[in-house]
Order: sequence, then C-alpha cells, then structure tokens
Amino acid sequence: MALLRLVSLLVFMLALGAQALTPSHHLSPSDVDRLQAILSQPFTDLKSAYFSIVGLSKLGLSVADANGACSFIKANVDSSSVESLFYAAEASQALASCEIHVSNETRDLLHAAVSEDSTVSQIHQAVSALSSFGLPLASQEVVSALKARISKEDNVLAITLALQTASRLSQQAELGEILEEIEDLAARLDDLGGVYLQFEEGLEATALFVSAAYALSDHVDVEPPLKEDQVIQLVNSIFSKKSWDSLSEIFSVASAAAAFSNNRFHKPVIVSALGPATVSHSQPLLQLQVTDVLCQPLSSADVVVESASSVASKAAILSKTPFTLRDGIFELNFMASKPASGYYQFSVAVKGDSRLVANHVELKVKVSTKVAINNMDLSVVDKDQSIGTKTTRVEYPSKSKASFVADSHQNFAMTFQLVDETTGVELTPHQTFVRLHNQKTGQEVVFVAEPDSKNLYKFELDTAERKTEFDSMSGTYALYLMVGDATLENPVLWNVADLVLKFLEEEAPSTIQSKNLYVPKPEIQHLFREPEKRPPTVLSNTFTALILSPLLLLLILWFKLGANISNFSLSPSSLLFHIGHAAMLGLMYVYWTHLDMFQTLKYLAIIGSLTFLAGNRMLAQKAVKRIAAEQSSRLAKYRSLR
Amino acid sequence: MSSSVISVISRFLEEYRSSTSTRLKVVDAYLLYILLTGALQFLYCLLVGTFPFNSFLSGFISCVGSFILAVCLRIQINPQNKGEFLSISPERAFADFLFAHTVLHLVVINFVG
Repeated sequence: MALLRLVSLLVFMLALGAQALTPSHHLSPSDVDRLQAILSQPFTDLKSAYFSIVGLSKLGLSVADANGACSFIKANVDSSSVESLFYAAEASQALASCEIHVSNETRDLLHAAVSEDSTVSQIHQAVSALSSFGLPLASQEVVSALKARISKEDNVLAITLALQTASRLSQQAELGEILEEIEDLAARLDDLGGVYLQFEEGLEATALFVSAAYALSDHVDVEPPLKEDQVIQLVNSIFSKKSWDSLSEIFSVASAAAAFSNNRFHKPVIVSALGPATVSHSQPLLQLQVTDVLCQPLSSADVVVESASSVASKAAILSKTPFTLRDGIFELNFMASKPASGYYQFSVAVKGDSRLVANHVELKVKVSTKVAINNMDLSVVDKDQSIGTKTTRVEYPSKSKASFVADSHQNFAMTFQLVDETTGVELTPHQTFVRLHNQKTGQEVVFVAEPDSKNLYKFELDTAERKTEFDSMSGTYALYLMVGDATLENPVLWNVADLVLKFLEEEAPSTIQSKNLYVPKPEIQHLFREPEKRPPTVLSNTFTALILSPLLLLLILWFKLGANISNFSLSPSSLLFHIGHAAMLGLMYVYWTHLDMFQTLKYLAIIGSLTFLAGNRMLAQKAVKRIAAEQSSRLAKYRSLR
Repeated sequence: MSSSVISVISRFLEEYRSSTSTRLKVVDAYLLYILLTGALQFLYCLLVGTFPFNSFLSGFISCVGSFILAVCLRIQINPQNKGEFLSISPERAFADFLFAHTVLHLVVINFVG
C-alpha cells in the first residue's frame, strides 16, 4: 500500500516535471546591450534622468558622468512639486555621491502629500522621496492611507505603486494586508495560450508589478504566491518584446529583469546551447550557456546531465554526468562516450541554488560524423547467368578508368558499404541516390540505392526494363553516387564511372523533346458565341405578309356584314376616348422601340386615366340611348298589343 | 355517316346565319381573324424553329389572350345570356374588354423583346 502510494507520487512528480515550462523568450546579450545603450542616452528632463540613472543602477551599471548627472538633477529639481522631488530623490540616491539639500518646507510638503486625499501615485512619490532623502516617515500612517486609497482606486497600476511604496516602509508596520494584494493582482493576470502571463494594461504594467511584488516580498521576507510556471510565463511576457516604445517601458523592463535576477525567492534560469547543439569528432564539446535573465552566467551552479538517450533506439548513453565550467561556459565532452551518429535527447538539470526556477531543460543534441564509402564494386551481369562477368572495385574519390557497357541483355550492378569514418559502424543515411547523366542530351535519371539486411547497399539497373526512363536514348551516361543526411558532415557527390547503355535502335525517338515546362504554350483563340441561325429573309417576309392577310379577311367580312360607323356621335367625350385609345396603342409601339416599363407605366397612367374618363362618359351616354331605345320599343310593342 | 355530318354542319350554318344578330357576327369575324393569325404564327414556328422563343411566345399568347377576351365579350353582350349577367351591361363588358386588352398588350410588348 505504501509502495503503491510512493510509486504513484513518483509518477505524478515525473509527469509534473516533464511538463515544466522553460522560458521561450528571454533577453540575449545584444538585447541587454541595447537596453543599456538607450538608458545611457543624454537626459532631456528630470523624468528621463530618473529613468536613465535608476534604470542603469538596476542593471548594475553606473552613469558615465556622475557629477554631470548630479548637477543636472540639482539644476532641474522643482521643490514645489512632489513628482519632481521624487525623481530627484531616487536619481540622487542611485548616484554614488550626490546630496540634495532638503528644506523644511520641502519636507512638510512631502509629509502633507501622505494622506487619504492624495492619489496612490502621489503617496508613492512622497514616501519614496522621503525615504531616499533619509527623512523619517510615519509608516503606520502611510499604511492606513494606502489601504484607504486601494479600496477607492482599484486598478492595476495603483495597487502596483502601493506595493512599491510598502517596500520602503519600516518592517514593523502592518504590511500584511498590502502583501495580500500581490495574490489578488496575480489573479488578474491573463494567461495567453499557457505561454504568456500579462495584464491587459500591457507590458509596462506587468513589468512594474513584477519588480514591486519582489521588492515587497524581499522586504518582508515572505515568498510571493507565484508558481514556477507563472514565473516563467511572466518572463516570457516581459522579455518577448525586443524593441521598446518609450523610456518608461525600458525602465520597467530593466526593473523587472533586475527583480528576476536577484530576489530572495525565485531565480529563472536560461539554458541555451552555444551555437547549434551539434557535436562531432572535430568538435566534441557540448557547450551550454547557463545564465539568469540578465545574461549573467551562473558560475556557482552545478549543471548535470540527468539522462541522455538516443532518439532512435531509446538507449541511454549518459546518466548523472556533470558539466565543467570554463570561462562562463559549461562544457561536456560528449564524444568521449562514443555515441553513434544521430539525435540524442538530453535532460539537463541546473542545481546549486534553491531559488532556481525552470532549471530542468530538455535539449536535442545532434551527433554528426563523416561517412566513408567502402567496397564499391561495379559489374555488368548477363541476364541469363547470375554470376557477374567482371567485378571492378573503385576507390573513393577516384573514377573508374574503364567504362562499362550494358545492352538490353545485361544488367548493371553496383554494391557498396557506407560506414562511419572513425568507428567503422555501418550507416544508413537518408539519401543514397544513383544519378545517371547523359552529357550530350542533358538527360538525367535518378535511382535510389537500397540497403539489404546486412546494411550492404545494392543498385541494379535492368537495361530493358528501365528503357522508358531513358527514352531509349543510347549513349554514354556518367554515373554519380549521391549520399546525404542531416547527421553527415561530408555529403558525397562522386562520379564513379561512365556507363554506356545500348538500347534497341528502333525504339529510340528521333529527337528528344526536352521536358521543358516553361516554354510558352500555344495561344488559345477566343471563340465568340456564334449567333443563332436565322431563317432566310424570304421566308420571314413571306410569313409577315401571310400574317397580315387575316386582317384583310376581317375587314372584308366586316364590310360584308354591314358594320359601319354611321352611329358615330361627335361628342367630345367619344372623340377624346378614341384619341386616347389610339394614343395608348401608339404608346405600346413606342414602348416596344424606345421605352422601358417604368416610363411606359407613367405615360399609360396619364393617357389611360384620360381615356377611362372619356370612355366612361361615352359609354354611359350610349347606355342611356340604348335603354331609351329599349323602353320605346317595349312601349311600342305594348301599344301594338293593346 | 359523312352525309349526316354534312347535313349537321349545313343546318348549323343556316341557323347561325339566321338567328345570330349582326353585332355578334362582327365579334365572330374578329374571332376568326384572331384564330387565323395565331395558327399562322404557330405554323411559322414549326417551320423555322423557336429561335427567338420569347417573340414567338408573346405573339402566340397575344392571339390566345385576345381570343379569350373576345369570347368573354361575346358571351357577355349576347342578349340571350342576359339573365346570367344582370349587373354587367354591354357597355360595361366592352369597357372590361378594353381594360383587359391594355394589360395584355402591356405584357406582350414587354415580352416580345
């Protein structure tokens, strides 16, 4: 039962260790130099002087001209502004010997700024100035003012400044509540993809938070509630940006870097290989740079290979082997363990300081070697017999003096071995090609040589079977062997021999079309849509006349029936009606030729309404006449009946 | 058999000539005209194919529509049908005929292309 628990705990810890983050973004030495260069630029005002002087001191460097800087500060300080006093105080504190005289009014001004009515920023500046000037301050008052202000100003920057202020107070003050703010603020950080951890307010806020949190934690000697993965994610966020927008941003990055490099609790370690992680016989040392975030080497650390195993065979090569420190670089002679060429997975641990974070690193190391070609045997074999007629051995890198002739009854065979030059172990590189190049026609055919079970490479060319690849062009082909691999230091291109291939003549094409893909293709002529076939004009005209003939018939019939217009009353409404109706028919024709539907509807509405009104009138009159006629005829009939 | 058909037809024609009013005969002549026009259009289409199909359709539908409207007019102005069309006077029937024709011509001209 106890054993089971132990095993499960071990597995759990192994799993945890396997997933530990390592910094994917960190400052390189050139980045640190650039930080320093920007911070060393001449100051424009007191604020930039503060950033430069204090920033450089955090990086462990000092300003070029300390006296000049001191006089600049003294000349530009404004004793009536708390902010100006803050910059002056901090900057003069960072310089070696720069004393600023503080008058009583200044001191009173600073004391007055510490109250519940000032903003956290003002309290921070006042307290820092008082502390840097060496003036006494009432820590408990500051604490109560800060607590009151934090509840009113609940943003990230305010709480960060409160943390920074608390780190300047006396250790006897009750800083417990302010210390808890670190945890609350850490909860507000955004986790981006498991890689970055930053505030949505941006890089500067995150960096200032880091420096304030560690400053306060160091001051009260309580470990900040940040997990290892969170620390690494913060490192990634803060040091991922390599070109900075403003001096305040650079200052915040420098402060954060200084905080990560020397606080009492967490020290992120950056392990990287010097150059490519490759070892070979000419370069047998694996060199690692183990530094803190400011690229300072950790000289007191012990760097140990926990395990190194081959990626291909999973066989362990090394276990618990230490690196030796030389000139700030940790070295290990890996070739001394005689590894075979290939890739190896290293698990490196950095020990020696309990503060180290991300001190287990996985590295992939490549062992490369030189290849030698042994026992290159060329022969021409008759298809009927399997025994070669003659085997010629060729030594690398010379070329065989005799050329080989193979026609369609024969096969050409080639065998060779690829071995490691130093150890003699057989190798199977990724690329072993046999290239046949016809110098006259420019043809090139490439085949792959395959190893058999004993790692002996064989290549056979069946002339009759492969004739399509050669387009049946007989001639002299230069035979090349190409060997390449990622782990080979000396890729090989070796002109082994000349091979004369004879194909049956009747199968050869007369000219070789060069398989050139990039010549202009024949131009495509665009075919416009052919108009539909129309019937002959004679037919159309005939039918037009034919269609009009029933109209003639109609007129004749009407005439015969005696239809006439004798009853046409020339009243204005009937005239208007007929004109309007004719206009509507005319509008139809015009619509067909010129207009569109909307215009037609417009005109139709006008003409139609006129016609309607006139027609209504006319038909009403007609109706009246008809009814009168009917009544009179009925009356006449009635009378005649009587 | 054929003689009875001929006799029926001749009887029908005789009745038609005598008992139909002139007004209706005028409309009947118009109907015949429309019929012939439509038939000729169809014959043309059969001969040469339907290339401008929209034109053929619009012409043919114009004939068909006109025929139908004229038939409606004939039914409505026939005094023998007066009982069924008490609210529609012959003048009203004619006005309807004209209005429907306007709409028909609008559509036909739109479609003929």
